[in-house]
Amino acid sequence: MRRFLRHNGLSLFFAAIFLAALVGQLFVGHADFNHEQIAHHDGTMSLGRYLVSSPFGSDVLENWQSEYLQFTLYIVGTIWLLQRGSPESKPLDEAGTESAEDQKIGPHADERSPLWARVGGVRTWLFSNSLLLVMGSVWVGSWLVQSLTGHVSYNAEQLDHQEAPISWVHYLGTSDFWNRTLQNWQSEFLAVGSMAVLSIYLRQRGSPESKPVGASHEATGIEG
Amino acid sequence: MLPGAECPLVRPRRLAVIGCTLPLLALAACGQADDRDQVRSVSERFNRALAHEDGPAACRELSEDTVKSLRSQEKTPCPEAILGLSLEPSRTARVQVFVTSAKVDLVSGESAFLDRSAEGWRLSAIACEPKEGKPADRPYDCELQA
Repeated sequence: MRRFLRHNGLSLFFAAIFLAALVGQLFVGHADFNHEQIAHHDGTMSLGRYLVSSPFGSDVLENWQSEYLQFTLYIVGTIWLLQRGSPESKPLDEAGTESAEDQKIGPHADERSPLWARVGGVRTWLFSNSLLLVMGSVWVGSWLVQSLTGHVSYNAEQLDHQEAPISWVHYLGTSDFWNRTLQNWQSEFLAVGSMAVLSIYLRQRGSPESKPVGASHEATGIEG
Repeated sequence: MLPGAECPLVRPRRLAVIGCTLPLLALAACGQADDRDQVRSVSERFNRALAHEDGPAACRELSEDTVKSLRSQEKTPCPEAILGLSLEPSRTARVQVFVTSAKVDLVSGESAFLDRSAEGWRLSAIACEPKEGKPADRPYDCELQA
């Protein structure tokens, strides 16, 4: 058990704080929603009902989709785009998907390589792109759900003002949808960009996200 | 399976996520169906009360704020005032529910808006017609609203 905790500390830590933050968001989001309802002379909602409501779903999913977009773009971007001096970048002469030998695919795989790295064909192609495919799918899926739940919340607001509800397709063109989307995208892109640049000149001893403390600012694609 | 082989398809953990999500979605969908039925019932009871000139029954389907607004507008108690508006009862053609707000479109072409309160769904605006221009951009013109 101790070994399991030690070897999986990173994922367990982030799973724990994710759940804590999500539960916290549920409670404060519920309180905030009911505060708004009372201010508009509308009925309040129980916590259980709020958990499965579109307002909560929309608030959660608009953040999830931007996080998964961030990683999708980061995964794709770091294949071809380089940043001199950044540990987030590959070495300057390694742009692209690299050779089968470098990637240990097919005949270049060893006995410890995953099966789908060895077999070739569609399975190896899928496995070779599995990270991007999964991250990209989660991004698209969560953005879709954001649009569906956001559409419901938007129409609730419309009816509250005796205005006609709109279709989902119409909602995709509204400022409400794009405001929610872009306010999240800009912060994600800023965070990744900051990390790529700051890690050129700053160090964090012990973190693989940083270059070794004594590495030069020009050293590219190395970890601490 | 070969040594070092992995099963890259569905893993137990992924099944657990799907297993937890589907019941929540089903719960949300069932809740929506219940709300639509209740909204339809409120609209039908209100229109039936109008058809039978039953002022007290019609007033029971209005929200508290709508009743106050009616009393203030007509300067008479609700049961008398609601019948004095000469509203045309009509059957329900369509019900739309979004969170705690609902809209009912009647066969007559008019619409009504409802809000869900602690007492249940109640009418917050009745005898509403869209103003000129894009309905989604302009509030409906209502004979009575909260």
